[in-house]
Amino acid sequence: MAMFSSFNISASALTAQRLRMDVVASNIANATSTRAQLVDGRWVPYQRKMVVMEARTAQPSFSSVLENTLQGSVGQGVRVTQIVNDTEPFKRVYNPTHPDADESGYVLMPNVDLLKEQVDLLDATRAYEANVTAFNASKAMFTKALEIGK
Amino acid sequence: MIGTRTLNMLERSLDAATLSQKVIANNIANASTPNFKRSEVKFEQYLLQELNAERGRSIVGRRTDSRHIHIGRSSSSNPATARVVTDNSTTFNHNNNNVDIDYEMAMLAWNQLKYNLLIDRTNGFFKSIRTAIDK
Repeated sequence: MAMFSSFNISASALTAQRLRMDVVASNIANATSTRAQLVDGRWVPYQRKMVVMEARTAQPSFSSVLENTLQGSVGQGVRVTQIVNDTEPFKRVYNPTHPDADESGYVLMPNVDLLKEQVDLLDATRAYEANVTAFNASKAMFTKALEIGK
Repeated sequence: MIGTRTLNMLERSLDAATLSQKVIANNIANASTPNFKRSEVKFEQYLLQELNAERGRSIVGRRTDSRHIHIGRSSSSNPATARVVTDNSTTFNHNNNNVDIDYEMAMLAWNQLKYNLLIDRTNGFFKSIRTAIDK
C-alpha cells in the first residue's frame, strides 16, 4: 500500500544496516583465523568481507511510471546487492612455531584491521538509530491521522 | 458546501506531507549509499503561487502564444501539486553521495510537526461545522 511505503523504506535500511553489522561481527570474530578455506592443499586465511549497498527503485510497472510522471520519482529504500572480499594482501607475521607457518617461519594472517571494523560498526549503529527515528516519526504521523474527525 | 475549499487545501497539504515523509525516510535510508542523490518535495511554493494568483497579487507574464513560457504561475487552471525534485548538483560525501544526515533529521522533525498541525486544523474545521449544526 502506497501510504505505508515509508515504513518499508525505513525497514529496508534497518535490514541493510543490520547485515552490515553482521559482516563487521564476522570480520572481528575472524581477525586471527588462519584457516578459512583450503586451496590446493594449503590453508588460506580469512579475507575481510564488505557489503555493497545500492538504492532500491520501484519495479517498472504502469502505476510506478504514472506516479513518477505525475509527482517525480520516490526511491524504495536501500538494499545490499552483494558481499565482496577485501583484496588487500594478507599480513605476514613471523611465528615459526605456528602450525600454518611456511618454510621461512612466516604465517599469513587475515587482512582484517580492527580499527576499520570499529569505525564501520559505529557508522552502522548510528545509521540504524537514524532509521529507527524515521520509522517512529512515520508511525506517529499515521497514528495522528487516525484522530481526524474525533 | 461550506468551506470545502479549506478542506481541499488541508487534504492536499496532508498528501504533500505524507509524500515528504516518504522522501525523507528514503534519504535517511540511503545516507551511506554510494552515488545516491537526495530528493525533496516542493509543494508550499506552488500552493503560495496558486493562492497569490487567485488574489491577483502575483506578477503573471502575459502570454499571446501557447508556446510562451509561463511566468509567475505554471498554469492557469491546474491546482498546485507536490513534486519530488532530486538535487544532482552537489556532493557532500567522498562517495559522491549528498545526504546531510543532520539536515534530514531536522527536516523529519519539521515535517512531523507540520503534519500534526494540519491534522489539528482539519479537526478544527470539522469541529466548527459540528458547532454550527448543533446550535
